[in-house]
Amino acid sequence: MKKWKKIAEAYDLRIPESDLERIAPSLDALESAFRPLTKNIPDDVEPAITFRVVPENDE
Amino acid sequence: MTLLEAALALRRREVSSAELTESSLQHIAVLNPGLNAMLTVLEDDAREQAKAADEELAHGADRGPLHGIPIAVKDVFETRGVRTTCGSVIFLHHIPDRNAAVVERLAAAGAVLVGKTGMHELAYGITSNNPHFGTIRNPRDPEHIPGGSSGGSGAAVASEMVFMAMGSDTGGSIRIPASFCGTVGLKPTSGRVSRYGVMPLDFSLDHMGPLTRSVRDAAVTLQAIAGFDPRDDTSSQEPVPGYLPGPRCSIEGVRIGLPQNFYFERLDPDVNIAVRRMAASAESLGACILPVRVPDIEALNAVGRVILLAEASALMEKYIGNRDQFGSDVLALFDQGRLVPATDYINAQRLRRMMQREFAQLWSQVDCLFTPTTPMAAPRIGDKTVHLGELVEDVRLAATRLVRGINVLGLPALSIPCGRDSLGLPVGLQIIGRPFDEALILRVAAALEDATSQ
Repeated sequence: MKKWKKIAEAYDLRIPESDLERIAPSLDALESAFRPLTKNIPDDVEPAITFRVVPENDE
Repeated sequence: MTLLEAALALRRREVSSAELTESSLQHIAVLNPGLNAMLTVLEDDAREQAKAADEELAHGADRGPLHGIPIAVKDVFETRGVRTTCGSVIFLHHIPDRNAAVVERLAAAGAVLVGKTGMHELAYGITSNNPHFGTIRNPRDPEHIPGGSSGGSGAAVASEMVFMAMGSDTGGSIRIPASFCGTVGLKPTSGRVSRYGVMPLDFSLDHMGPLTRSVRDAAVTLQAIAGFDPRDDTSSQEPVPGYLPGPRCSIEGVRIGLPQNFYFERLDPDVNIAVRRMAASAESLGACILPVRVPDIEALNAVGRVILLAEASALMEKYIGNRDQFGSDVLALFDQGRLVPATDYINAQRLRRMMQREFAQLWSQVDCLFTPTTPMAAPRIGDKTVHLGELVEDVRLAATRLVRGINVLGLPALSIPCGRDSLGLPVGLQIIGRPFDEALILRVAAALEDATSQ
């Protein structure tokens, strides 16, 4: 499992240790469910995020 | 009385909008101290709106079925000149200078806004046990939660304070309170209803929709609020069809999928029985019930959680330094989101696209799906876990298990009451449809409602 405390420190997130201990089981569970899914994504699949280019003067 | 019955009575001059509004305000005055469903009540404004509606109707200016009807909106919808808190102390003094698109459209349809409903803090949870504005209680049993995050809307409609209340749904927040409070709750297709002026929780997953006392009430509300809005980048230009199911509408030949995997696992037995009974009712009305296997919903839920955690935390990052402003459950979710790597977020959005394609194949086999809305009826206030058979599950994860994935896919889904559990608490049936096919799920639900109300 990931070392959440070290990650939080590295990113300077300033999450109290007791709060980190409380959320670690949820993060571990999500990690277990999510990580295997990422192994089989074909390279050409793009993220489902929309971005619309607005022509000049059309805001 | 339903919204449409009130609309008919208005046109027959059996009642006025002023009388309906006065009755609504009286209900709120009597019931709200116990239920805490309404966060803000707009008594004077509502009376003025009702008076104007009566005058218009008297002069033959009829804006449609919502004209003169008392309604409420969740306190996530911005209202010009009226405090909009999103259930958070961060926005305790936020008085918008604009109306949300939905508020504009409801006003154009002549609805009378009597107030704003309470909610789970920042729309980020399912209990509506709000640490800043108090606990919202379920009108069916005040010792139980109304669900959330649109808990005030569910409680306000179920207790007949208003005929319709708008909610928002990021991971089930319309359908869960509908299920727990015994109302109808409609989450439309992504892009169908504008998000403009709604305080966001998650850019990818937020949806707006009504909670009502009947299916046809939800249909006429959707009719009023649906449609393209250039101010919302995700708004769809797909034409808006007629949504109101006809009287004695037929569902002969409609193919209804009953999932053989995931959705009927880990349920309260009363929920299982109630939902299957509704499937049998649909079959007796001429629908074809077909067993289907659905794609991996556990995976879909994991993808949804990664997207929600990351986007919600990104949105609130600037406020998180002052940790005292948040309830502990919401803060825990924001902290989790700050620990989601950007690579996971991007891959979750890629998986979302893959799963959308995979799920779309189902629509060649069936026209809609029947599932439970929630695995259990409303838990008691303060319960952290629920017992489902021999399993113990976190309340939030259990309540969102059957609904969250549908937000990831952006599909329309409707929750309707379908029975009660052994404690007499309501149970919800979820009907999931093809993209932009709200008309079909509303028709199926209306046929069932007609059949079960006879």
